[in-house]
Amino acid sequence: MNKALLQPIVVICICLFFTSCVRDTDFNQAEDVALTPIIELDLIYFNLSANNFYDSINSNPILSVTDTTEIRFLNDGELQDRLQKAEFYFKFTNSIPRNFQVDFQFLSETNDTAYVAGTRVDEGQPATPVITEYTEIVENADIFKLTQANKVVVTVAIDSSSQNLEGDLSLKSKTTYFLQN
Amino acid sequence: MRYFLTYILCLVGVLAMGQNKQILYGFDAVPQSLMLNPGSHVTQKKHFGVPFLSQIHVNGGASGVTAYDIFKDEAESINDRIRTAIFEMDNTNFFTVTQQLELINFGWRARNEIYFSGGIYQELDFISYFPKDLAILAWEGNRDYLDYPFNLGEISATGDLTTVFHFGVNKKISKRLTLGSRLKIYSSMISFRSVDNQGTFTTSLGGPDAENIYEHTIQNADLNLQTSGYASLTDSENSGDVTSDILGRALFGGNLGVGVDIGMNYEINDAWSFSASALDVGAIFHTKDVENYRAHGTYTLDGINLIFPPLSDGEATLPYYDNLEDEIKNELALDTLTTSYTQLRPLKFNASITYGFGIFNSSGPCDCLNMDGSQLHKQNVGLQFYSIFRPQGPQMAGTLFYYRRISNFLSAKATYTVDSFSSSNVGLGIAADIGKVNFYLAADNLLRYNNLAKAKSVSLQLGFNIKIDDE
Repeated sequence: MNKALLQPIVVICICLFFTSCVRDTDFNQAEDVALTPIIELDLIYFNLSANNFYDSINSNPILSVTDTTEIRFLNDGELQDRLQKAEFYFKFTNSIPRNFQVDFQFLSETNDTAYVAGTRVDEGQPATPVITEYTEIVENADIFKLTQANKVVVTVAIDSSSQNLEGDLSLKSKTTYFLQN
Repeated sequence: MRYFLTYILCLVGVLAMGQNKQILYGFDAVPQSLMLNPGSHVTQKKHFGVPFLSQIHVNGGASGVTAYDIFKDEAESINDRIRTAIFEMDNTNFFTVTQQLELINFGWRARNEIYFSGGIYQELDFISYFPKDLAILAWEGNRDYLDYPFNLGEISATGDLTTVFHFGVNKKISKRLTLGSRLKIYSSMISFRSVDNQGTFTTSLGGPDAENIYEHTIQNADLNLQTSGYASLTDSENSGDVTSDILGRALFGGNLGVGVDIGMNYEINDAWSFSASALDVGAIFHTKDVENYRAHGTYTLDGINLIFPPLSDGEATLPYYDNLEDEIKNELALDTLTTSYTQLRPLKFNASITYGFGIFNSSGPCDCLNMDGSQLHKQNVGLQFYSIFRPQGPQMAGTLFYYRRISNFLSAKATYTVDSFSSSNVGLGIAADIGKVNFYLAADNLLRYNNLAKAKSVSLQLGFNIKIDDE
């Protein structure tokens, strides 16, 4: 009886261990795994008042002001590889009774221009600010240019200026990064 | 990140409830059952494990997902399946891998009827809970989750590579009661631990008075990672150094700890018996090569505020980006500490109640298979309970078993287990004594063996011993 029982048990166990398998699966699909997160991130913001555009000491209008900031992650190797599309959104609130031209010049580490964008900003009134929205979509070949940049130069140019000019110009902005690997 | 996820998902495929050896528990034909209950019945007179082959144990699992769920060969995109898995799983789901290899195991019955046993084994134990919110953030981004507080506290993982030196005693102290205990010295080679984390990350639309479009807020973050045995490895320049470093630590060169196992077996009457054990009641004291990291604070990011300072030609503007980085570093301080810490071992409890029937006494007048002289039954049925303390609380398993001594050289045990992974885990173990060589093999989740990819957990133990019942 013992032998009679032993054999089938051993055979069954051996069969179980040697026939166990992993089937109906395709592990090559791992290569198709793609993370496609969409990330919303604040960019820059500023608040300028009318007197930023007039030099009261020398009584001269200042027709444009410029500032620069680094955006170091933009030319990071990983972002260069993964960025599919970037959507910049700028929202200006203007209570200065003048039109503005605002330009964004993206520069590389060697200060070569990599990408430019810009918009007109409508004039407002001190009591009734006007909102100008502007969206810049960067995709395809332009992505390569954009991700060569690591800083942005912002130039705010006013059509004309005087000592009595009143009001404020503010900017809020964000970028939507569409990533894929 | 993509590869990290892929590896985690692949692990799911090849690798059971961490450390539960429900088949071996109470399986007295296998000397290693003493490792699960130092107070269990010992039927042999002596045993020697075949070095490096006396117990090979691998055990892995994922409580929320199977490899088949992810990699099944169907038209639907793998990315849709991963997305479904991420949303179906919970932060209480976990991934675990345990591996043990006995280097030496031996035991003998002394004249005073105490069964002494000892040995050395190496253990790898890893568990990570599923950080669901971070997985969603990595997979989907924050665009569709405005105002949703991503929970950073879901990060919870521990990993240990340890050598254990042990020595135990076992004695039948009365007709019905057997008691045993085992002293363990741990030598930790590498250990890391990140538990008790907290904090949230939220992106919300700024109101009319907000500085910018969004407010990205990290709230009450407190994230920590304790490591030992890791910092010096990253300093080692070539892999030869790393290998010799780790081997040195395996032999009392690592961070040392101490613990005990205790266990008992009580025969309530001729048919019923009760057993229980507590394993790894102890701690490792991490004092050498310790590096702990802690990041904590609250911070709201608005973007970069340009102030258009009046500049003369060639004058550089303010270093906005550097200032922002400094501000973040100040508000979310990252501390690196080298203070010692004590780590409790994952405490395990086993208990069983057994009903035995049929008298087993095949060896004639000298009942050599039964050196401690208690009644052996041909068949046993019973219930087992197992629990292990994990970072997020105990994990438990219940097992129904049937144990049969088929002949004086063959025993088998079948188990049906309900645990965090599944409620249909059938396991089978056999132990054969061929001459003086004792061989055993135990595996669970047999119902899934025709396609392991569908198993949430797999556990396998096998080993060879020399068992001497008489001389």
